[in-house]
Amino acid sequence: MKFNAYYEPNTVEECVQILSEQGSDAKMLAGGTDLVIRLRSRVLKPKTVVSLNAIPELSEVTLKEDGLYIGAMARLMDVSKSKLLTGAWKIVKTGAGNVSSMQVRNNATLGGNTCNASPSADTVPGLVVSGAVANIVGKNGDRSVLLEDFFTGPGKTVLADDEMLVSFKLPKYADKTGAVYKKYSIRGDTDIAIIGVAGKITLNDQGEVADVKIALGGVAPTVMRVPKAEDLLTGKKLTFQLIEEAAVIASESCTPITDARATKEYRTEMVKVWVRHVLTDAAQEAQNN
Amino acid sequence: MSDCEKTNYIGKSVPRIDALEKATGKVKYFEDYQIQYRDLLHVKVLRSPHAHAKIVSIDVSAAEALPGVATVVKGSDPDIPWSDIPYGSSYYGNPAKDEVIWAGQAVVAVAAETIEIAEQALELVKVVYEELPYVTDQHIAMGPDAPEVVSPELGLACGYMGFCADGPNVAGSYKMTLGDVDKAFAEADVIVEGEFQANKKSTSQIECNGCIAEYQSDGVVKLISNGMGVHGVLKKHLLTMYPQLTASTLRVIQPVTGGSFGNRLFPTVEPLAVLMTLRTKRPCSYVLSRKEMFTSSPSNWPVFTKLKLGAKKDGTIIAEDFYLVEDAGAQIRGYFDGRLSASGLMCVYNIPNVRCDSYGVRTNTMPCAPYRGLGVPESEWAMENLMDELAEKLNMDPLELRLKNIIKKGECNPYGEKVTSIAIGKCLEAVAEGIKINEPCQQDDGPWKYGKGIAAGGKQNTPLGRAEADCLIHSDGSVEILVSCDEQGMGAQSALRQIAATELQIDIDRVKMTRSDTAVTPYDNFGASSRTTYTTGNAVIIACQDAIDQLKEAAGREVGLAKKQITIKNGKAYVVGSDVEVIDIKDLFKPFDFFTQQTWGLLQGTPVRGRGVFCPAPAVPWFGPGHEDGRTPRMWNWYQYSAFGAEVAVNVETGQIKLLKLFSTADTGNPINPKLVEGQIDGGVIMALGFSTLDYHMFEDGKMINPNMSDYRLPTVLETPLQKNIMRAILPDPLPDGPFNAKGCAESMMIPIGPAIAAAVYQAVGVRPKEMPMTAERILKLIKDKEANDAK
Ligand SMILES: Cc1cc2nc3c(=O)[nH]c(=O)nc-3n(C[C@H](O)[C@H](O)[C@H](O)COP(=O)(O)OP(=O)(O)OC[C@H]3O[C@@H](n4cnc5c(N)ncnc54)[C@H](O)[C@@H]3O)c2cc1C
Repeated sequence: MKFNAYYEPNTVEECVQILSEQGSDAKMLAGGTDLVIRLRSRVLKPKTVVSLNAIPELSEVTLKEDGLYIGAMARLMDVSKSKLLTGAWKIVKTGAGNVSSMQVRNNATLGGNTCNASPSADTVPGLVVSGAVANIVGKNGDRSVLLEDFFTGPGKTVLADDEMLVSFKLPKYADKTGAVYKKYSIRGDTDIAIIGVAGKITLNDQGEVADVKIALGGVAPTVMRVPKAEDLLTGKKLTFQLIEEAAVIASESCTPITDARATKEYRTEMVKVWVRHVLTDAAQEAQNN
Repeated sequence: MSDCEKTNYIGKSVPRIDALEKATGKVKYFEDYQIQYRDLLHVKVLRSPHAHAKIVSIDVSAAEALPGVATVVKGSDPDIPWSDIPYGSSYYGNPAKDEVIWAGQAVVAVAAETIEIAEQALELVKVVYEELPYVTDQHIAMGPDAPEVVSPELGLACGYMGFCADGPNVAGSYKMTLGDVDKAFAEADVIVEGEFQANKKSTSQIECNGCIAEYQSDGVVKLISNGMGVHGVLKKHLLTMYPQLTASTLRVIQPVTGGSFGNRLFPTVEPLAVLMTLRTKRPCSYVLSRKEMFTSSPSNWPVFTKLKLGAKKDGTIIAEDFYLVEDAGAQIRGYFDGRLSASGLMCVYNIPNVRCDSYGVRTNTMPCAPYRGLGVPESEWAMENLMDELAEKLNMDPLELRLKNIIKKGECNPYGEKVTSIAIGKCLEAVAEGIKINEPCQQDDGPWKYGKGIAAGGKQNTPLGRAEADCLIHSDGSVEILVSCDEQGMGAQSALRQIAATELQIDIDRVKMTRSDTAVTPYDNFGASSRTTYTTGNAVIIACQDAIDQLKEAAGREVGLAKKQITIKNGKAYVVGSDVEVIDIKDLFKPFDFFTQQTWGLLQGTPVRGRGVFCPAPAVPWFGPGHEDGRTPRMWNWYQYSAFGAEVAVNVETGQIKLLKLFSTADTGNPINPKLVEGQIDGGVIMALGFSTLDYHMFEDGKMINPNMSDYRLPTVLETPLQKNIMRAILPDPLPDGPFNAKGCAESMMIPIGPAIAAAVYQAVGVRPKEMPMTAERILKLIKDKEANDAK
């Protein structure tokens, strides 16, 4: 692990300035749980490393009029325990709590989990169904991108070389909303997910589905939504059969690969199993909220 | 309490000698010695990306030119000793010469000032390969037309000891027949048969293989290594490889080590480090990364077993027929003929008609070496699964069927060996009772289904090798035991100390153990085959007896008694059969000062040195004229046994298996230190839980695709049952010639775990796993296949 320069800016502006000067030679360091491994194995050989750890504002979590703002540098351990993540936002806590071990969560950040852009990142499906928005700052100003549109492929995002993620905004959720994330892996949270499923259901007064979002991790190049299954459920009263049908659609819509963690056939089958569980539980929560 | 009882440490859980220093982090592993060397060079290795390829050319000029690079080694260098290995493949981790025969084999090595420079240098190396056909599947490799693991023009003579191979990759064969197998099957009322596979796996000890080789100005190479067998493995192999070294110029030291489980029975890092230190005259440290531990250090040998059993209605098994293949990987040195794994199918049950047809085959995968159990957890996987099936067919209790057929003490096993110590019956009864095998599990509506199962296992011990021990009795009465046994974390040193203190009848605090160092401690082969307690333990006893004998002689001379009139205990000499103290041992050692002229007798500062040498009784040949049936009254030494009972939950939606409750028993002979034995049992159970349900090597395009701790799924604490649900018992049958009737205990507990879980899975969801590990995917597939079948 060797690089020519290491920066530790104190403000976002300073950081963006360094990034724009260094261009593609620089890599940002958040908790380092993805980055350092790649530096050590020499998969990545950046000339410059820019740490985000000395910019205090990036770790803030604030409740505002239009929703909840979570700084990109919020540690997953803190996110998994945050008292501000209430109701349907709890799904973000679950996802953060599902990332590996306590030791990893103490270092890893929510922004790092997103920017690493792994299709199996545990916090992303929950953020996506929550309608999270990524707030980005770059040399030429700020922009906001719906998290769903943030990823362009495995390990790839919309961020330009001079841009950084500063925070997530979670819009407020409606009454009677339930949101559930389930990670499926062999050795619990120690393992990277074979698949991850997030579901968010809002019921109307008649108990019909007013809004539903399903996001799948680990089964496509990026975390994916399942519009066809969502359409099927919208406006209907949920039944076991309907949920099963949605689960089948989800499993047919995904395009998993075979790797060391599972075959594509197994992943497809697991999507069916866990979409069913997630929707059943989310509907239950929606009723209770 | 009599003095003798006070100093009887056998069967007592005396705390380990290294407990405190290990728990406080004070012990030194080999890497802790790196800091001593200011001019240390670091070794990194470029490895083959191909399963089989010809090395067309290697250009290392840019690497050599990189500042900070001390030396670059490639297989064609003149100082690599190939004469012993004409077929040009890798010899114990040194770079390959003509071709690479597995993905992960060393191709070029660099020693540099820092690890970073070494890594950078490797990126500058240009290797041109010409890919060749390869085979990673042992079934394909067995065929007469299979792709050849090593190109024929490199002159790899197939087989071992002149065996004429059935195919290009067949390494050897062992066949044995007892009785008339065909006739017995014709007479059987019930016949069961099946094909079973156990996969490739890594021992995964915590400490990666590594060493530091230092070149001293007097020409001595000092090697500090976590490898095995300072004398019997490392020194022996290195002296063979490097003729410029002599018995007196190579010193091997073993510091505290973090496990081996058989993985280090062949040197993997030491030959290269020694070569580089000979070249550069500078200390070199070579440590494998975790990835290299998977791809480039030995694995077990996977085993395929096709087994058939025939029984009478009453459950008496009368016929056994099996075909078995050990997959030795790219292991072209060691001999593999199926005999090691076959031993597991002939050591538990007394079957009068047996046919064994076993083979070893090579494949283009990382070479194999022993893995805790020496290939019998892999073969008894077949036997115990089929026993459960046979019990079902006979409508008989699996416990009863086993009890009916186990070898009784004094009977012969199918080889013709008389079994002198066997307590498998007790072990089986205890586990059946422990998990209440006859009480059915409660079921509910959820996806988890519950079941219980039991299984048995037996493991031979090697009759090979020799152990020596020195027992020093100092003039202050304290004792020092010098042995070169491998202390890989199992507590062997602590058990040997208990043996010594008991034999010498001395307070154990007065006994010190000295770690392996070829310049200090006497010969031993290696810590494998659960042999240390037995072999080295016996040597320690003999050494102690020799020291006592010398003390008796000295005491007798001092007080005017005959040697046989004296006993030694507690540091004193007594008149035999009495409490009459004749002299304190300390007083036998005469003081020494500047003006003393003393030429004989015991002198202060010079300890009495008792010497012990122990060799197990040798094996009797099973090959050659007169041995056409492959049988022999002595192929192995003694046998250790274990039984296992498991209660599991199986998820019908995902195929996952959860081990809820377990009971493991072990017949270890008389246990020297029960707590250490329990540690072996628990550790073995969890390790076997891993390879039975989770971890194995996966290959794609000839390469291992999960060489890391994330994708190679070893069990974590989360996969292990709660402590209160882990039960174990030591149920010994004392071994007549063991030290204080001990056997050894490191392996047998591994064997019955997979099959007991499989039996429980069958009870829970009605499918019979045939492949180990029983991963979630494999179990789910069996469940789905069964559902589809049932729907028909
Ligand atoms: C043992 C282990 C187990 C793991 N298990 C899991 C698991 O179960 N589930 C899971 O989802 N992940 C897992 N991971 C992956 C990793 O821990 C997470 O992805 C983590 O959230 C990454 O966050 P970080 O702060 O450590 O990121 P870093 O490693 O610091 O950064 C990751 C990437 O994002 C970039 N980056 C970071 N912050 C920003 C920013 N604000 N703006 C722009 N780019 C940025 C970095 O440049 C880098 O490329 C595991 C990792 C390890 C080592």
